[in-house]
Amino acid sequence: MNPTSPFDKLDSWFATKGWKPFAFQREVWRAYLDGDSGLVHAATGTGKTLAAWLGPVIEAAEPNEPRRRKQGLRVLWITPLRALAADTAESLRAPLEALGVDWTVETRTGDTSPAQRARQQRRLPEALVTTPESLTLFLTRDDVVEIFANLRLVVVDEWHELMGTKRGVQVELALSRLRALRPDVRTWGLSATIGNLDVALRALLGVRRELRAADHSTGGRIIRGVEPKNIVVDALIPPAVERFPWAGHLGTQMLPQVIDAIEEGQSAIVFTNTRSQTEIWYQALLGARPDWAGTIALHHGSLDREKREWVEEGLRTGRLRCVVATSSLDLGVDFSPVDRVLQVGSPKGIARLLQRAGRSGHRPGATSRVTCVPTNALELVEVAAARDGIASGSIEARLPVTRPLDVLAQHVVTVALGGGFIPAELEREVKSTHAYADLKEDEWRWVLDFVSNGGEALHAYPEYARVVVRDGRWLVESAFLARRHRQSIGTIVSDGHIAVQYLRGQRLGSVEESFIARLAPGDRFVFAGTPLEFVRVRDMTAWVRRAPNVTGAIPRWQGSRLPMSDSLAAMLRERLGEAARGELRGPEMTALRPLFQVQARWSRIPSPNELLIERVKTREGWHLFWFPFEGRLVHEGLAALMAYRIARVAPITFTMSANDWGFELLSVQPPPLEAALGAELLSPVALLDDVPASLNATEMAKRQFREIARVAGLVFPGLPRSGKTARQLQASSSLFFDVFRQYDPGNLLLSQAHREVLERQLESSRLGRTLERLTRARVVITEPKRVTPLAFPLLVDRTRERVSSESLADRIRRMQLALEKAAERG
Amino acid sequence: MAEEIATRDVEVEIAGERVALLPERALYWPATGTLLVGDPHFGKAATFRAGGIFVPRGTTAAALVRLDAAIVRTGATRLIFLGDLLHAREGRAPETLRLIGEWRASRPGLDVVLVRGNHDRRAGDPPPELGITCRDAPVVDGLFAFAHHPATLADRHVLAGHLHPGARLSGPGRQFERLPCFWIGRQVSVLPAFGDFTGLADVEPDEGDRVFAIAEGVVVEIR
Repeated sequence: MNPTSPFDKLDSWFATKGWKPFAFQREVWRAYLDGDSGLVHAATGTGKTLAAWLGPVIEAAEPNEPRRRKQGLRVLWITPLRALAADTAESLRAPLEALGVDWTVETRTGDTSPAQRARQQRRLPEALVTTPESLTLFLTRDDVVEIFANLRLVVVDEWHELMGTKRGVQVELALSRLRALRPDVRTWGLSATIGNLDVALRALLGVRRELRAADHSTGGRIIRGVEPKNIVVDALIPPAVERFPWAGHLGTQMLPQVIDAIEEGQSAIVFTNTRSQTEIWYQALLGARPDWAGTIALHHGSLDREKREWVEEGLRTGRLRCVVATSSLDLGVDFSPVDRVLQVGSPKGIARLLQRAGRSGHRPGATSRVTCVPTNALELVEVAAARDGIASGSIEARLPVTRPLDVLAQHVVTVALGGGFIPAELEREVKSTHAYADLKEDEWRWVLDFVSNGGEALHAYPEYARVVVRDGRWLVESAFLARRHRQSIGTIVSDGHIAVQYLRGQRLGSVEESFIARLAPGDRFVFAGTPLEFVRVRDMTAWVRRAPNVTGAIPRWQGSRLPMSDSLAAMLRERLGEAARGELRGPEMTALRPLFQVQARWSRIPSPNELLIERVKTREGWHLFWFPFEGRLVHEGLAALMAYRIARVAPITFTMSANDWGFELLSVQPPPLEAALGAELLSPVALLDDVPASLNATEMAKRQFREIARVAGLVFPGLPRSGKTARQLQASSSLFFDVFRQYDPGNLLLSQAHREVLERQLESSRLGRTLERLTRARVVITEPKRVTPLAFPLLVDRTRERVSSESLADRIRRMQLALEKAAERG
Repeated sequence: MAEEIATRDVEVEIAGERVALLPERALYWPATGTLLVGDPHFGKAATFRAGGIFVPRGTTAAALVRLDAAIVRTGATRLIFLGDLLHAREGRAPETLRLIGEWRASRPGLDVVLVRGNHDRRAGDPPPELGITCRDAPVVDGLFAFAHHPATLADRHVLAGHLHPGARLSGPGRQFERLPCFWIGRQVSVLPAFGDFTGLADVEPDEGDRVFAIAEGVVVEIR
């Protein structure tokens, strides 16, 4: 081999670091140089970045590569979190000099400064790290062809995080655009190990070369990284489980043990499941250990960027003893000093717990340990179940989203802005993606109509036109619409977020508008770990000053409730089956003995072949608690279906709550449960009629529509200085939903809302299969005198849906005005 | 269920006058044959369309059908809009104005008055051929004063709009609803917004105020 070959230089660069390239890294480099695309999967922190990056770098270092000074954009690196962009760019730069490659690596995200944007407008670097949203923004530029003229590689980092979401679809569409512009561009995805890598690869590469009918293969390689590290999952066991809360909302009872655990290590991350929990635990830790002030911090997605970066830096350097965080610290960044990871609350999923465990022992070969901290007693069962799941390798699959018309409508406007399009060409391109491979002709037609004349071929709306047709080419001509489209690009729903800022300047982050709406001037609340006093709202900003003490409300953020995964739910049912037989394996299950005894005495511990229904009368009314143990999404669908079917027997109104273990139906009148059971309550027959009807009876589709309205460009995030014109165009998504339902019931965005709810409940969570299982199950109805340990968390859940067969007037005659502004549903 | 709707008005006394609260989202004052309507926001959907946001047609036509039903049912001779007749200048679409014009032509004997509201100032007065008398608030008639903004006035009970009042209701079994409502106070009463494509703002009634919610064609007093 030529002694100056790039591979030799590479080896010596690795040697200077005391490393050797892994076999899988070499495999990826070779595959890239052979012109292949593919997917690399491995645990975090095992060298995936260099595997994907060094292929094009080696290519550029080849001696016969022309030495042009500036080569234009060669590599596009897509990362799901803009917080990761700077770190990623840093690690991409590291090997360049040693290899003699004179490339610039820059970032382009929502955080990029105006000066750098202006520079990038003139000339792009050879490698650019960006987010899906910023990439889509590039596609709206009219010089899009020139920008990507030299593109050779697109890397999609953390593809497993993106693929199950509409942002993933946005990436699929952007990739299809890039392939149309540069047919020979290679695509590599980096992913954690998931249960359906083949699907992940197809979604990433699309239905390539679709015109070559003979070649059905997607091409593409799946390359596996290094073996997972040793994983240890344990739990902090409460000293007296019978005195432990059955439903811990704050759940800081375990604080002393958590403090001990943090003290065991050099540096710890305490993961929680919600941003509110992060604030709560941070306050609790600081309250118990004031001497830790300055060495503990909190981190979540609603905090201002500077604050987040300061925390990340503190973790990297080991300056911080402990950071309380949400999934905002799940991804990317290498925090080598971290040697202790705690998980507060349910682990929710096996892959997720593995990912979090991997944040400790961040060196190949080291043991990763995660310690679970239950916030209520039953979560101990989930810990045991998660450990079973890891042992048996039951890693969850991630299902990609298919055919969301809101995202497609947004993309069509994007392409219309970026030089325009000819429908037949764009259709081919769109259908080359996995998401839209089965797009129906009428759906495509409808999307084109929707952006040009309102989606109704028969009516003309002369005043409405987002996209116009000029000589067969579809374009956006209005500068106002172009600007608004660029501002609203993105598929992450942030429901009217409002910035929080000190009167004297510093920005703290953002909270939901609905939270601020409930505050009066002078009210206290806690945010970003700081007690604050609310002063006023002006210019889409909540102005605050520091408050002297820590009392006050803690904001809640929508959409932060993740359901338990199907794999974990299956393991959970097995563990409960053991408990029903009196077999208590392991420290968690043993500790729960007193609680299982109470459950068995008052009601029953259900076996996997039983469906337990507890009927309890309280001051609030009649409660039916059901325990299918299938995860919250399935339970929401099942609750609506059961309520709907029971309400057909007699006029009745139910409010419902659901959690990962079961669901509750609450009614003022005694529910005709036995009569309904006799009338095929659990039957999977007529599911295709009953499920949509029951979902229509709830507000689930309306809530789903919130996101669709935003993505499709109906509702806009409030923009500062947007003036009167924009204010005249403000309406809530629920208003759109009602008006569409009444005046344009055939609107496909409405159908999409229904379809998304159905898919969420039916396909991805298998409501039908659950019913099959429950039909065969033995129904056991118990009548405990008090609410049981299993039922208690459902009782205190305040999020409620409603299904009714009574008239609205009859219903409201029982009601009174809720004078508290923050009533119910909060 | 037209027959049922006809029987579900609620009669109340405001400032010593008997008035009827109609499920069509309007208030009728029989002594003077006056029908009061708040916040129609005609042309709001057209405003959105002109701004590149799709809203289906039909909201204005449906509102006019409902308005006409209330006129026929009550036999009103005078119609007073309590402001925000037109949503915005951009919403003065030919189609919207044509629909309003056709309806107006079908009721030539009706006396129609607009008490101007904040939106009317920007949207402009309706075209003169519609035969709508435009006046600034307050318009005094007997013990009532008609206005857009619900501000108090000495010696008169103010009937107003502007707020788009909504009632947030809760009941046993953790049930809840949110509905458009009439808010009857001691000195000021607020009508629900007439238009379909309008939102709701929760009322915060004082002691002694009465609230009437509109539930699927029925007016129900809320305790």
